[in-house]
Amino acid sequence: MTHTQKRVITSSIVMALSTLSAVIGIGFLLWILSILIINGVDALSTTIFLEEGAPPGNENGGLKHALIGQLMLVGYASVFGVPLGILAGTYLSEYGLKSKLSEIIRDISDIMMSAPSIVIGAFVYAIVVAPSGQFSGWAGSIALMIIMLPIILRTTDDMLQLVPSTLREAAFALGAPKYKVIIQVVYRGAKAGILTGVLLGVARVAGETAPLLFTSFNDNFLNTDMSQPMASLTVTMYNYATSPYEDWQKLGWAAAFILSMFILTLNVLGRLFLLKRKGK
Amino acid sequence: MATIVDIKEEKALEVKNFEFTYAGADEPNIKKLTMPIAKHNITALIGPSGCGKTTLLRSFNRMHDLYPANRYSGEIIFKDRNILTKNEDLIKLRTQIGMIFQKPTAFPMSIFDNVAYGLRLQGVKNKTELQGRVKKALQDAAIWQEVKDRLGHDANGLSGGQQQRLCIARAIAVEPEVLLFDEPTSALDPISTAGIEELIVGLKERVSIIIVTHNMQQAARVSDYTGFMYLGELVELGRTEELFVTPKERLTEEYITGKFG
Repeated sequence: MTHTQKRVITSSIVMALSTLSAVIGIGFLLWILSILIINGVDALSTTIFLEEGAPPGNENGGLKHALIGQLMLVGYASVFGVPLGILAGTYLSEYGLKSKLSEIIRDISDIMMSAPSIVIGAFVYAIVVAPSGQFSGWAGSIALMIIMLPIILRTTDDMLQLVPSTLREAAFALGAPKYKVIIQVVYRGAKAGILTGVLLGVARVAGETAPLLFTSFNDNFLNTDMSQPMASLTVTMYNYATSPYEDWQKLGWAAAFILSMFILTLNVLGRLFLLKRKGK
Repeated sequence: MATIVDIKEEKALEVKNFEFTYAGADEPNIKKLTMPIAKHNITALIGPSGCGKTTLLRSFNRMHDLYPANRYSGEIIFKDRNILTKNEDLIKLRTQIGMIFQKPTAFPMSIFDNVAYGLRLQGVKNKTELQGRVKKALQDAAIWQEVKDRLGHDANGLSGGQQQRLCIARAIAVEPEVLLFDEPTSALDPISTAGIEELIVGLKERVSIIIVTHNMQQAARVSDYTGFMYLGELVELGRTEELFVTPKERLTEEYITGKFG
């Protein structure tokens, strides 16, 4: 066998193996998605959006409480987490850049991004739930915010650093003060990238269950008081899916379907913004 | 010591014993440099890479202050004051001394907003006044005809040469007294370069111009005075036609005849 033949064969084997691995990976994803879609679509009905939780056996049970709870939990987490993340990222890129403090913050956020979310749930349990003596929507939102923060912070930091320094200098050279340079020129240049980071951050926390189990807990009925335990799609899904009642399991499928579609949409939007930015 | 020609015109800027050291460097990048800049003339700075010409240019609008730990001493006199002092108002200084960069730096906004940017910073809010001054600046930068029908379009859609003229329009819109050009044509094709050069020459009636260039022909074509810098020092400053034909210093002669560079 010549040297060339050997290389061609090695190349074919490697290509076959990597293709196979990719097919297996994507195959599982499609399998999960198809089961989710088949069962989820089957379980969907208008009642789901209009009715609150009901005891097993009652045909009129819905997910309204979980949908609204989910939106409130993620909404409040975003209201505080997004500006905080963007401002912190701005500090790193525009003010701290290469200082020791910024490097430490960057490293810690990287660690936080890979921290198991249940640990963050336990942390919020210890600092919020235990002292106040009860599970609450606020505790859930705080846990989600903590998970969201490093993602938004690091994307903002990265995206702002991609803005060429000559653009900043040009604005300074026209007599712009630093805050105007950042808001009017740098943010504008990094707009699409920051938006992507925000969407991916929100999508990430929207699918979290573990940190909510310890914090916002659950409620089978509609509650809009953030200081009380609050239902979420993820925890409801967990409870219903593991219950022995068929109609609850069906609601669990519906919750899984709705949540997956929501997160998928956020992810696709995020990628689209990024593509648009690169296409320029 | 440097050979410095006697400048008869009024002076726009005067550099005196200026020394500049970058953060972390041991050796100064510019050493005890003294140099007058004639008003309403074009002064070109030439010299091999690393000679300190861009460093000097960026000192006139205190661009170095954007980065920490750069050290400088000496004086740069502008309008009867030393602009290197701590209490110099940098925002005001930079509206009086504008700058054009090597690469076009169009902001990610519309053509109109780009030119209006400096004006808005100065508090011009009146729409008619803004429109008038933006139009005038674009006309003066010889780009009005090309963009008048698409002022609302993204400035990044313009060609490199157009973007550079847009940047010049943006800089002259705020009516500075001095304009600094940092190799403004090195990223452009020959036709765009010719356009920018013509523009620079036309501007000197209203502003004093300092231009850093790697291109000796460009210095010879556009400037009235040329300063040759080497290793952080000014070797010779002369009338351009004299410096290129009968240089007084041996180093200058060797550089312009291509013996090193």
